[in-house]
Amino acid sequence: MTGKEYIINAYKLSECDRTPWLPFVGCHGAALIGKNADTYLSSAELIIQGQKEAIRRYSPDGIPVTFDLQLEAEALGCRIFFSESNPPAVVSHPLEDGVKLSELKIPSKSDGRVGEVLRAAEVLCREHPDIAFFGLVTGPFTLALHLMGTEIFTAMFEDPQKAEEVIEFCSRVAKNVSDYYIEAGCTVIAIVDPMTSQIDPYSFETFVKQPMTGIFEHIRQKNCLSSFFVCGQAEHNLDLMAKCRPDNVSVDENIPLEYVRDVALSNGVSFGGNLKLTTTLLLGTPEDSERDALECILIGGKRGFILAPGCDLPMATPVENLEAVSRLVRDEYRQEFLKRTSQVQENEVLPDLSSRWTKGKVIIDVITLDSSSCAPCQYMMELVERLKPQFNEKIEIFEHKIKTKEGLLMMKSLGVRNIPTICINGKVRFISITPPLRQLIESIKEEMM
Amino acid sequence: MDNFIDRISISIQRGKIDANSPYPPDMKGEPGADELTREALQNGVAANDILTLAMIPAMGIVGELFKDKKLFVPQVLMSAKAMNSAMLHLKPYFTSGEIKQRGTFVIGTVSGDLHDIGKNLVSMMIEGSGWRVIDLGVDVKTERFIEAVQENPGCILGMSALLTTTMESMEKSVRQVRSNYPSQRILVGGAPLSKEFAFRIGADMYAPNPQVAVEYINSIA
Repeated sequence: MTGKEYIINAYKLSECDRTPWLPFVGCHGAALIGKNADTYLSSAELIIQGQKEAIRRYSPDGIPVTFDLQLEAEALGCRIFFSESNPPAVVSHPLEDGVKLSELKIPSKSDGRVGEVLRAAEVLCREHPDIAFFGLVTGPFTLALHLMGTEIFTAMFEDPQKAEEVIEFCSRVAKNVSDYYIEAGCTVIAIVDPMTSQIDPYSFETFVKQPMTGIFEHIRQKNCLSSFFVCGQAEHNLDLMAKCRPDNVSVDENIPLEYVRDVALSNGVSFGGNLKLTTTLLLGTPEDSERDALECILIGGKRGFILAPGCDLPMATPVENLEAVSRLVRDEYRQEFLKRTSQVQENEVLPDLSSRWTKGKVIIDVITLDSSSCAPCQYMMELVERLKPQFNEKIEIFEHKIKTKEGLLMMKSLGVRNIPTICINGKVRFISITPPLRQLIESIKEEMM
Repeated sequence: MDNFIDRISISIQRGKIDANSPYPPDMKGEPGADELTREALQNGVAANDILTLAMIPAMGIVGELFKDKKLFVPQVLMSAKAMNSAMLHLKPYFTSGEIKQRGTFVIGTVSGDLHDIGKNLVSMMIEGSGWRVIDLGVDVKTERFIEAVQENPGCILGMSALLTTTMESMEKSVRQVRSNYPSQRILVGGAPLSKEFAFRIGADMYAPNPQVAVEYINSIA
């Protein structure tokens, strides 16, 4: 099954044999090819290079063309402040500065940087037909904030007609930009509207629900899939988001994934999220990232769930953290390993191994999930067993299955972090990969010297 | 007097600015914080009582409700507008010294970061709890924070960052301010931050929402 099929299956709530993986690579793509965010997000060629590098490293099932919620705002006349290490920021709001709504025109395919991003979308979709590309479109409420400034918040109460008109215009922009991405070949249109997290359910229902529902209906009529994506604390609006009838809701770690799952599935929509962007992916280790991913996978289940970061990946996210997540989604043994090892408590008393190495024999400890059920573990055990005819009573072989508590404690005592692993006289010698027999024999002989 | 105090407080809590304001719909046509404050002063209610018995408790209630997600940004902004309309009538009393603010709070979004919604909410809530607020704006360089601390001895300093990348600017600014003014009180906030990060960079307090900021600075004033 291709990555695109995994994403489509999840969106259609079909059971998947593994969790689909969707890294939100935006300006992080710039870091992957050694560029600054400002030049990167302004060039189709660089976006193509960066996203291709992300595809090579992270083996995604789906990936955005880019992640830039200022694209439409810039095309509509907002002044943009570019940064070397972040997406750009909107610094002026035309409607606040005296421009009339009637003077604003829906961006064409060539306004601002829209053309560059669409060109990147076309090339990426054509050259990677097995991957689901996401066209990210600024949601109408967030775009209204870009156009009006924070006045949009109070206008909902003081001048509701004006607020409605601006949001209605922004929803027409979203429909048009969605069409551009669909024509470029994108599989999913994600309407990203983070500012809706800042309004109450009543205001959401009054000002956002109807235009959003219209956008998702429009995308459906074009035979494309859709997602309603909100970074931020949107728990209070989640049910309403799902009721706008997108195919998917996607949120960040502010919202417990159990809650997202229950709300989404009860509304018949798929859901995505919610790897921790800062604490895990940016500042954590590869193992922290794997454990976070595993927790999401276990909660999300295999029906209707897409594993994704909560929002746009920070530019400096360590590559090895994302690579670790990418491997984990495809490695059931690693998932099982992490599941088991998470059961060892920090304060658990570990076995004392000090007398284990004084027998005048070489002790070979093989840490496995269980050689009777895990193929790599089985091959490693079979290899180790082949040492017996040559060394007889000079060696002792032990299998420690981490399915048992004893096995887990032994693994921790030996300092093993992956399965299967061979330790010789307490030293970690072969990790994950079964070595050639000759190399293993050499290692045993070294210990006998 | 109680009648005015209660009505000003309710106007601020509900975001009722003045008689022309259509919000909230159930108070349409009624006088708001603007008219009620003016009338209260004309009727001999002390400016200090309006500040301490009506405005500060009202914004405290708004802050609590915001913290508990019973009010959201639009409602808080309406309350802040109502509060500002009342505050305009009190300005002369601050100038004359008849009423005093609790202290000075200096705030800014750190260098490289242009986000201001969170910072503005904190400013409004702190002003509403009786503090003088000096808002340095967005993209504030370390030197500007240091100048402001120098110009306002005894102030409390707040810094905001919304981006993971500008958390580094925050760290630089906090460490530099701390190195020049070791006893300076520094409060930080912003979506990507955590308590651990705040303490690691040397801040005194992490405020996950405006009300925590208000409670913190009032506790040390």
